[in-house]
Amino acid sequence: MATTTDTDSTPVDESRTISQRLPDNLGMHVGIILSVVAMAAPLLLAIVMSTQTTSEVYEVTNLGLGSQGLSNYQTVLSEYRFTTYLLNSFVMSIIIVVGKVGISLLAALALVYYELPYERAVFMFILLTLLLPVPVRIVPLFQLMADLGWTNTMLALTGPYIASATAVFLFRQHFMSIPSSLVETARMSGIGPATFLFKVLIPMSKGMIAGVCVITYIYSWNQFLWPLVAVNDKSSQVVQVGISYLQGSAQAGLTPWGLIMAGACIALLPPLIVLIVLHRPLLQTFAVQRK
Amino acid sequence: MAEQTKPFDSKLQAAALLLPTIVVLVAFLYYPSLETFRLSLFESAFLGQDLRWTGISNFVELATSSTYRNSFVVSVLFAGVVVIGTLVLSLLISYMLFDVDLGSSSYLVAAIWPYALPPAVAAILLNFLLHPNLGIFTHYLELLTPWTLDWFNSGPQAFAVLAIVAIWKQLGYNIIFMVAALNNIPETLTESAQLDGVGRLKMLYKVYVPLISPTLIFLVVMNTIYSFFSTFPLVDLMTSGGPSGATNLLIFKLYRDAFEFSNYGLASAESVILFVLVAILMYIQLRATEGHAQYGG
Repeated sequence: MATTTDTDSTPVDESRTISQRLPDNLGMHVGIILSVVAMAAPLLLAIVMSTQTTSEVYEVTNLGLGSQGLSNYQTVLSEYRFTTYLLNSFVMSIIIVVGKVGISLLAALALVYYELPYERAVFMFILLTLLLPVPVRIVPLFQLMADLGWTNTMLALTGPYIASATAVFLFRQHFMSIPSSLVETARMSGIGPATFLFKVLIPMSKGMIAGVCVITYIYSWNQFLWPLVAVNDKSSQVVQVGISYLQGSAQAGLTPWGLIMAGACIALLPPLIVLIVLHRPLLQTFAVQRK
Repeated sequence: MAEQTKPFDSKLQAAALLLPTIVVLVAFLYYPSLETFRLSLFESAFLGQDLRWTGISNFVELATSSTYRNSFVVSVLFAGVVVIGTLVLSLLISYMLFDVDLGSSSYLVAAIWPYALPPAVAAILLNFLLHPNLGIFTHYLELLTPWTLDWFNSGPQAFAVLAIVAIWKQLGYNIIFMVAALNNIPETLTESAQLDGVGRLKMLYKVYVPLISPTLIFLVVMNTIYSFFSTFPLVDLMTSGGPSGATNLLIFKLYRDAFEFSNYGLASAESVILFVLVAILMYIQLRATEGHAQYGG
């Protein structure tokens, strides 16, 4: 974890008191507040404008909460199929999270706790898929979905994402950090692999599993290119592509930007909430990745 | 972990445990990738039903096409701007958070949340807020500066707007890793510099940047991959590659060649070029930091 490891002298607390004496800490606080506000500004403005009518939006500097209240959200959900899109996004993300975590745990169990011939080669075979992001294989993948008859289905949205080199890598790293004395105890007591997985490994990997779930959930929810290619039937589409339909449906006349902002906020909310609630395991998992 | 402590030795069970992962990787990653290489050597018609072997002529066509060469140059420039912009801004923000000891508090969420921001949402928010006529950002920008924002028609402006959105979305990811790296520096290493009364900015690039350089290299690679591969929604929803090719990134051109013009052979050749690019980048990262996995899929 540490970038440098050659320090075993005891940490001295002096530097803390010195940095507290520095007078320009105030500047740092102001800088942080400005940065945070600047990063959040587009979102905060979008939330305000999502409550406005189209004519209120067209008064550019009108920053008051609009007269629409939450009715733009209602309209988007009921009249622009957003309920369907959201449901599809949820189902897709949850299938990918559960599937990926499940089969990656199994693969890591085999890699770390089984006497495996060619273990290194198997691991490399899995790891090398990091070189193959969707754009590298998008045309044949699209054709494959058509050949399998999966176009426009949840299988097409989730199948290609179910396995992951990164998840296997992270679980493998974590398993290898579990003390071998514990593994030895488990072995001595003669428990089978299933008991070992569910009674020992999973309870000891809760933080890591939660972190991989958060990363996978956000990653799946935010997919855009693949759903755009794999699904052309609106009733099977996910919300990220759904907001592009919303933007596209209003090219003529006055664009209902209030409505579009409401749709965008809806599409952002689920991954944002997950991040806010589960940021601790996410940060810990990333720390392992960069170890 | 020592080899001899492995508790299980059934090869059949091990194979069964690995099977789901291997099957999915072979079916949806290895097989289509090999197909990409094969298709790149064919000319295709009728949605790929009619294939004619043409050797490397797709690659020759790309190398001599001014549109593709433009896309290549635009993508490289875009990656340069996005990588540098993201690193500088997130380094400053991370350093401030670290300096006032907020690096491990819950307030960190206020700085890393763009990690969860869907690129499509980022694109649509700024489509509106930077709209040449209706955008509130446009309004104040034009009020406070002598500029006129006209990115629907100006190539350089469209490029800049796209880069800003790409950077904004990528800040969270970078801050996560930078703050973690800064927090991991042993205080004993930075003490002497602090005693010398060195200014903060100088401390940052003289002391901290070298100490976290492995993380910075990792982020350079990840940000480059991001700017080549994950920026499709931004182009698709904001500029459609225009005006006159100024934002026609490789990933967007690939999409159009494949799914608007159904030119599967040519699009596959473009995929192969992108593969070479990822391979080079991952190799650099492996060399520089010795064996870490990326995040992406």
